[in-house]
Amino acid sequence: MTENFKPKITLFHCINAFDEAAELSLTDMDNCEMQTVKMACSSMVKDVFLLKAFEAGADGVVVLVCPESQCRYVEGNIRAKKRVAWVQNLLDEIGLDRRRLALGNMAAGDKAAAAQIINDVLKNLAELGPNPAV
Amino acid sequence: MNMKASGKLQEILSKGEFAVTAECGPPRGANSEIVRKKGELLKGYVDAVNVTDNQTAIVRMSSIAACTHLLQMGLEPVMQMVTRDRNRIALQSDIMGAYSLGITNILCLSGDHQSFGSQPDALNVFDIDSMNLIRTVQTMREQGKDMSGFELKGPPAMFIGAAANPFADPFEYRVIRLAKKIDAGADFIQTQCIYNIDRFKEWIKMAREEGLTEKVHILGGVTPLKSAGMAKFMNNKVAGMDVPESLIKRIAGVPKEEAVKEGLKICQETIAQLREIKGVHGIHIMAIEWEEIVGEIVEEAGLLPRP
Amino acid sequence: MIVGEQKPISEIKEIIAPYKKILILGCGTCVKTCFAGGEDEVAVLASALRLACKKDGKEIEIEEFTVERQCEDEFIREGAPAISRNEGVLSLACGAGVQALARRFVKIPILPGVNTTFIGVLEKQGVFTEECSGCGDCMLAIFGGICPFTRCAKKLLNGPCGGSQNGKCEVNPETDCAWQLIIERLKILGQMDNLRAYVPPKNWQTGLSGGPRKLVREDHII
Ligand code: SF4
Ligand code: SF4
Repeated sequence: MTENFKPKITLFHCINAFDEAAELSLTDMDNCEMQTVKMACSSMVKDVFLLKAFEAGADGVVVLVCPESQCRYVEGNIRAKKRVAWVQNLLDEIGLDRRRLALGNMAAGDKAAAAQIINDVLKNLAELGPNPAV
Repeated sequence: MNMKASGKLQEILSKGEFAVTAECGPPRGANSEIVRKKGELLKGYVDAVNVTDNQTAIVRMSSIAACTHLLQMGLEPVMQMVTRDRNRIALQSDIMGAYSLGITNILCLSGDHQSFGSQPDALNVFDIDSMNLIRTVQTMREQGKDMSGFELKGPPAMFIGAAANPFADPFEYRVIRLAKKIDAGADFIQTQCIYNIDRFKEWIKMAREEGLTEKVHILGGVTPLKSAGMAKFMNNKVAGMDVPESLIKRIAGVPKEEAVKEGLKICQETIAQLREIKGVHGIHIMAIEWEEIVGEIVEEAGLLPRP
Repeated sequence: MIVGEQKPISEIKEIIAPYKKILILGCGTCVKTCFAGGEDEVAVLASALRLACKKDGKEIEIEEFTVERQCEDEFIREGAPAISRNEGVLSLACGAGVQALARRFVKIPILPGVNTTFIGVLEKQGVFTEECSGCGDCMLAIFGGICPFTRCAKKLLNGPCGGSQNGKCEVNPETDCAWQLIIERLKILGQMDNLRAYVPPKNWQTGLSGGPRKLVREDHII
């Protein structure tokens, strides 16, 4: 879309799935601006936080959680998945497009998986353009 | 008081003869010719004709009007009445109106839910249920009073019918419910279409043991199958219908052009068996939009001439 | 409790279209429990509406507030300042809450953001079922604690109908046949005699058919 569109991404992650070190090594994805929000468990992703991230100007939002059945708190990641799906529907309803929001399961420290998920959203954003509600 | 109605159907049943009734669905429109045509097809072959009341919740000419057309042709109607669309005020008023027009038989039903019909957006009434309706008609006849206890001037004296479905669940409760309907005032019962004759026999045996077949006239329902597809549809899609796998296979086993014949053969076999069962006092033929076949079925079964 | 469901965003957008400054007012009792109008839902809806309006280039100011109960004056009062400084109020309470507000704030449009659906129970997390239609003359004693007026699609008093099969209702194969449940329960209770007894027509006067109802407790009026 826009030539010099540098998407802003807000990344919510569970500290069990993703650690500081791995996060830092992601800076090689410098074609985007990244803001990260750490959570003790992915079950803390509330729908309103995801929406607020968009209100604050994010073009895309990514939620990284542990693989299903590997949540330290049993079902936190399943909850997160359902919330994300709910907000995706809301995004469609208000015309922002569900593809701006993604959830990925990743094993602890699996940088490649994290990069893959973020890249997918970046691809979507290249097509969708900047957040139309800012 | 006990002023019972005196139509042909009642006369035949009370004499202990085997009765034959059929069904006629009013048109989706105001053309009385259609009713008369159906009447013509049935005349002479059956003792009375059930006229459905917005069957499957599809808006049609009223049962009361279609009954009147049949009456004018010399046929005896059984007015079906469902509690889905009218409250007790309208129901009672229509019962009196119908009787004043010469309609002497009524079949009391709750009715198919409107969500299946042409107006799923309608408000349903269900002010009273079929059991209450039976009792209402009986009280009018036996005590000459309406539901409020008001003494009617010229109370309607209807011959009262009710439905029974031996194939619905819970099975053991079906006979209790039949007993309740008889207590409420049912004089005759028309059953759901019978395909699973074994289950029917089991049901009527239970009814016999309770002495119910002595108190009420049971007419077994039959509907000729036209194809294996119809048999499957009835079994899977029509609530409370039981078509055994063996029957579906049997009709699927003959060449397509023979299916109708096979269906009629099955129908004849069912009728023959019903006539053998103690407590069955007649048959009710529901040939939906296929009224022309009724005469043939009755003739084949050797049930002609009608009294 | 009263169960309700938030209206679709598209409908809410239309309802609030004439206003530039609105208050979304939640209720912390029933509708909170069914995730339709508690504090959390107010926040989500406000955020979603802000995004939606911004995207459409429409200016709107949305304030958020939740009171403990919208159907009681005492609690509504807490919301009064916020209500008075807005052009309109989108209430996420049940229909009673919306009307309680409308009664008190005559000059401010009070708009419904929730479709109030039924009196029900939380069957399991996230699933609510209708159980009572407030008929005003409870007969659960003879029906084994299962209400046929509410849970039988034909309101049968002497059920079940001929369409009951495998324990499911003919109207919706997802729904249990209320009468099957009644029979099972009465069997367990050893009260099958209740089924043999004829249940006369119901007197609907105590219900909505008798017109809107009012309950007066003299002993609580000073
Ligand atoms: S009988 Fe009336 S009060 Fe009792 S549960 Fe049913 S609708 Fe509610
Ligand atoms: S199937 Fe059961 S719940 Fe459904 S209408 Fe019939 S009796 Fe009522």
